[in-house]
Amino acid sequence: MTTVDDKRTYIEKAPPRAWLMGIAGWLVPGLGHLLQGKWVRALLLGGAVWVCFISGFAMGGHLFKYAGAEQGLSSLLQIPPMIGDLGTGLLYIVCWFRDFGFAHDPQQAALPTFEYGWTFLLVAGLLNYLAMLDAFDIASGRKS
Amino acid sequence: MRHFLIMTAFAALAGIVFGTVAKDSNRDRFTYGLKVFAEFMVIGVVLAWILYFIPF
Repeated sequence: MTTVDDKRTYIEKAPPRAWLMGIAGWLVPGLGHLLQGKWVRALLLGGAVWVCFISGFAMGGHLFKYAGAEQGLSSLLQIPPMIGDLGTGLLYIVCWFRDFGFAHDPQQAALPTFEYGWTFLLVAGLLNYLAMLDAFDIASGRKS
Repeated sequence: MRHFLIMTAFAALAGIVFGTVAKDSNRDRFTYGLKVFAEFMVIGVVLAWILYFIPF
């Protein structure tokens, strides 16, 4: 019984380094693995997220943010995709501070790849959440 | 053709990430990544044909 309790306590407590690696992986896609010397994983995961993000903008996509300007509950609909976009970490934060990539004018929306664009941007964030959790698990010793 | 290429790129990127974070050995990761890629492609093509025949 004591062994089970000890094991449970061990699993629940992650070292501070694991949190740091997770945050690093979230802020800059691939950095969490790079700091742990996992070059190939960093290249594959970070590369995939960066390519996805850049392709999203190249296809005319836009990022989501909660502005609160819409009427009623419709502004709340911006929150789930914003959480997805936020997964790209600094890429999203820099765009937010520079107010780049949030506007979607009719000309941009008329592009045949417009829908693909924002989907790629959204998926880049979601994939980076997976990469972030992987970096966290490696640093906490749950994965090799 | 453009849509198919974008779908292929999407499936490839998702396959790379899913394959890299899952499983234990490199061989299993590679196989799983390929499986995810193939699943995205097959499901995408099947859905496209289903939607093609829906008139609304």
